[in-house]
Amino acid sequence: MSIETLKICGIVILLAPLAGAVLAGALGPVKLHGRSHWPAILGVAAAFIAAIVLFGQVRSAPAGETAAAVSVYEWITNGTDAAFTVDFLIDPLTAIMLLTVTGISLLVVIYSRDYMREHGSPLRGYERFFAFLALFVFSMCALVLSGNFLLLYLGWEAVGLCSYLLIGFYYGRPAAAAAAKKAFLVNRVGDFGFGLGILLIYFTFGTLEYGLVFQMVQEGMTGVGDALTNGRITTIALLLLCGACGKSAQLPLHVWLPDAMEGPSPVSALIHAATMVTAGVYMIARCGAIFTASPIAMTAVAIVGGITALFAATIALAQTDMKRILAYSTISQLGYMVLGVGVYAADSAIFHLFTHAFFKALLFLAAGSVMHAMGGIIDIRQFGGLRKILPWTFLTFMAGSLALAGFPLLSGFFSKDEIIHHALTVHPVLGVLGLVTALLTAFYTFRMVFLAFYGPQRVPEGVHPHESGKWMLVPLVILSIGAIGAGYVNIEATGRSFHHFLAPVFEHTFAAASPAHAAAHGVAATAHAGFWTEYGLMIISGGLAIVGILAAYILYMRQDWLPGLIRASAPRSYRTLWNKYYFDEVYDAGVVEPARQTAHVCVGLDDYLIDGLLWLVTAIVRGIGLLLRPFQSGMLQGYALSMVAGIAIIVLLVFWA
Amino acid sequence: MTPTTAHLLYLIFALGGVGIYLLLPKAGRSQALAGAVIGVISVAGLLTVLAARVILPDATTVYFYLFATIAVLAAARVITHPKPVYCALYFVLVVIAVAALLVLQRAEFLAVALVMIYAGAILVTYLFVIMLAYQGGSPVYDRRSREPLLAVLAGFVLMAAVAGRAEDLPQPASPPTVAVPTADAQDAASQLHDSNTGAIGAAVMTKYVVALEIAGVLLLVAMVGAIAMSRKKVPVERFAAPVRPIGQVGREVEPY
Amino acid sequence: MPGIAEYLILGAILFALGLVGFLSRRNLIVIFLSTEVMFQGVVINAVAFARLHHHIDGQAFALFQLVIAAVEAGLALGMIVLLYRRRGTLDSEAWSLMRG
Repeated sequence: MSIETLKICGIVILLAPLAGAVLAGALGPVKLHGRSHWPAILGVAAAFIAAIVLFGQVRSAPAGETAAAVSVYEWITNGTDAAFTVDFLIDPLTAIMLLTVTGISLLVVIYSRDYMREHGSPLRGYERFFAFLALFVFSMCALVLSGNFLLLYLGWEAVGLCSYLLIGFYYGRPAAAAAAKKAFLVNRVGDFGFGLGILLIYFTFGTLEYGLVFQMVQEGMTGVGDALTNGRITTIALLLLCGACGKSAQLPLHVWLPDAMEGPSPVSALIHAATMVTAGVYMIARCGAIFTASPIAMTAVAIVGGITALFAATIALAQTDMKRILAYSTISQLGYMVLGVGVYAADSAIFHLFTHAFFKALLFLAAGSVMHAMGGIIDIRQFGGLRKILPWTFLTFMAGSLALAGFPLLSGFFSKDEIIHHALTVHPVLGVLGLVTALLTAFYTFRMVFLAFYGPQRVPEGVHPHESGKWMLVPLVILSIGAIGAGYVNIEATGRSFHHFLAPVFEHTFAAASPAHAAAHGVAATAHAGFWTEYGLMIISGGLAIVGILAAYILYMRQDWLPGLIRASAPRSYRTLWNKYYFDEVYDAGVVEPARQTAHVCVGLDDYLIDGLLWLVTAIVRGIGLLLRPFQSGMLQGYALSMVAGIAIIVLLVFWA
Repeated sequence: MTPTTAHLLYLIFALGGVGIYLLLPKAGRSQALAGAVIGVISVAGLLTVLAARVILPDATTVYFYLFATIAVLAAARVITHPKPVYCALYFVLVVIAVAALLVLQRAEFLAVALVMIYAGAILVTYLFVIMLAYQGGSPVYDRRSREPLLAVLAGFVLMAAVAGRAEDLPQPASPPTVAVPTADAQDAASQLHDSNTGAIGAAVMTKYVVALEIAGVLLLVAMVGAIAMSRKKVPVERFAAPVRPIGQVGREVEPY
Repeated sequence: MPGIAEYLILGAILFALGLVGFLSRRNLIVIFLSTEVMFQGVVINAVAFARLHHHIDGQAFALFQLVIAAVEAGLALGMIVLLYRRRGTLDSEAWSLMRG
């Protein structure tokens, strides 16, 4: 692949959405108004085309030369040794991520054209939305394309900023503004650890370039030539994990994602399902060298992922807001991805990321379509039987739900299955947790489907539901095709092309470490298990999905007095699940309140201490003025007295000293 | 002057300061009596201290101390009396005492000139102005002083500083009665001639003639200034020429 | 025979008394009268120094002192009359326009 082509593709991918954002933001309010979506759509489309070209370039590269570091320009330098460049690292992982990001973004932007028309906010809502959305695409692409930790951090923070701007899009609503603040601040906690990790990397290795750092890690050397200690690399890995927890909404920093549903549905689809939240997974996959060098960190990653997956699934069982259910489902699926990376199955994790992007974005956009039809209401207790009223929405929603639940032969089935398989090999407990989570996932997904789309037709007061327009439905259909068929790129029949494509990225890191790890634990590790083991697992997980769907069918379609009975018989458990395990309340009391009290103390300090010092300065000046003012009485004799006193003193000094 | 004499002098000066302070017009009960007593005591003490050094008093010394006493007491009364007329009259007394002292120093011309100019001209003018600005009764600015304490302090500290060092100068050998020719031949004009008047006249007319001329100009300027200051302003319109419109014929009428 | 010291002390006393009067009295006329008392002290000093140095210059200086004193008295009294016409009072505290 030619470096020049890659460079041009990379620059187009970055600058086209940015130009779209600037045009939409600058010209939108004055000239474009209702046509402000065009700069964004064109920019993201150009980026998508460039991503396809880039993908073609990487695909056609001969084996062994699939990675390229493309330097664009020197950014910061102190003239002698330290220099930070803007450079890209383009390899199969980058290509896959870019395709996913730009593709889903394009569909979401097209969808938003119709959606935001009715659900925009005053104060230039329409133009503002597209400007921020295009800015987000730019930031995410910068994050993915980056070839060093500095640009990664820049993209990381930029996506956090865009997330804040877009969650708080309806900034007139106090709930939305609070949710945006919460997202940004919780991300900040994670980013603090992440930043410390990057600083530690620079301090240890003397450089932030991926290639150099990973090489030094694999050699076990630091930048100055000393040996790399286990403690150091573990610390770095755990700090990076901190950042991933924040961005990918893992325990304990997951609290921002459900509240982020205050933003418009396209935002939830793009940012909080398909792209931004996957940045953490991407980062761990990219820094495989660092993580695999520390078994403790890998265990931590796996545990965090596995527990988060189960935990979020249990909460989703008791929620009644459709978007909240989907949000907790996202947290749970992200937990799967993190678990996948933690059990040395990074390619499976990226595969799940790929398929999850399709069906989760689809589900959110379809939920947006439902909201659109129901006049802004999304509480599944308030409507029902929408199957006949919104046929296309129902069909696409069903496709996405089946994929999410892991129904056999759909995309989610294949990707989830691989992760559980690897988990059972490395950490059996976590693998079992994964299976239980799969069952719960199917259950709560179809609880949502049956309550919303089946049963007697119920519509909220005064709402006239109508199916959405073409601009909204076409992306839904495209995404459902992807949700159904995306899994087929990786099955045996097509030669596991996805994994083969990604293999060069991970062969030195995850794939190499996995056998070593397995050997240390005395378990036979194979990339492809035996026929019966692998297909047996497929049957079990497929069966679990069907069992979950059936259970939901029975509870919500047949014996629909049963959920009420369960709720009444275990009220405390139900309340705990409904209140999300009281995480928000604990954080509020333990973190927010002390911060607020500290702020009060600081305000007091500012008012009394600092302003007091200022007052003291002015008081001194005023006092001196008060002392000196009588000397200027305007009375001639007073002045004469001062003069005589001066003469007397001088005479005394001259004659007597 | 021995150090003890110096310290005594300072003590007397301090006492005199207290006396003047008590004598200055103040609000409240008048302490003039106490002040007067203290003042007299201090003057007496001064005389004693200074005169005690004289072994055999001759006429000049006696007259000196007599007129000095009169001068000091009168000057004290000038500055402390509540009524301005009395201040002026006491000032006349000061002038006469000083003239006497000048005569003692063989400066007769100056003594007479002092009496003529001060007592004759300046004091009369003062009395005229006092009568012009007569306010009747005892206005507040005559009954109270500004910062008497600070003024007395400043003045007496200055006085003590200067007077305490007066002894450092050498004494004249003998009172010159006739001119003692100086070594400087060019200074012939400044030698004492037969009479004091002649000597001053010779000095002023030859050596200080420029200063004399300037003094004359100064007096002229002062006279013009005094007249210009105190004249009443007259509105200009009364003397303005009448504006005659073009083309108008007729008899001119005087404006006034 | 009183030496130079006595005359100088006397001159200092007269000067200081005049100074105290100038600084502490409020009547404009008495203020200028005290100035004249200061002049008397200066004249005594000048003539005493003339006697000390056997020169006539001191007495000539005292003569010009008289001229200055006369000039000053004339102008001062003219100004006092003007000030009295402005404010109707001879109080020196009435004139504090230069305050601040």
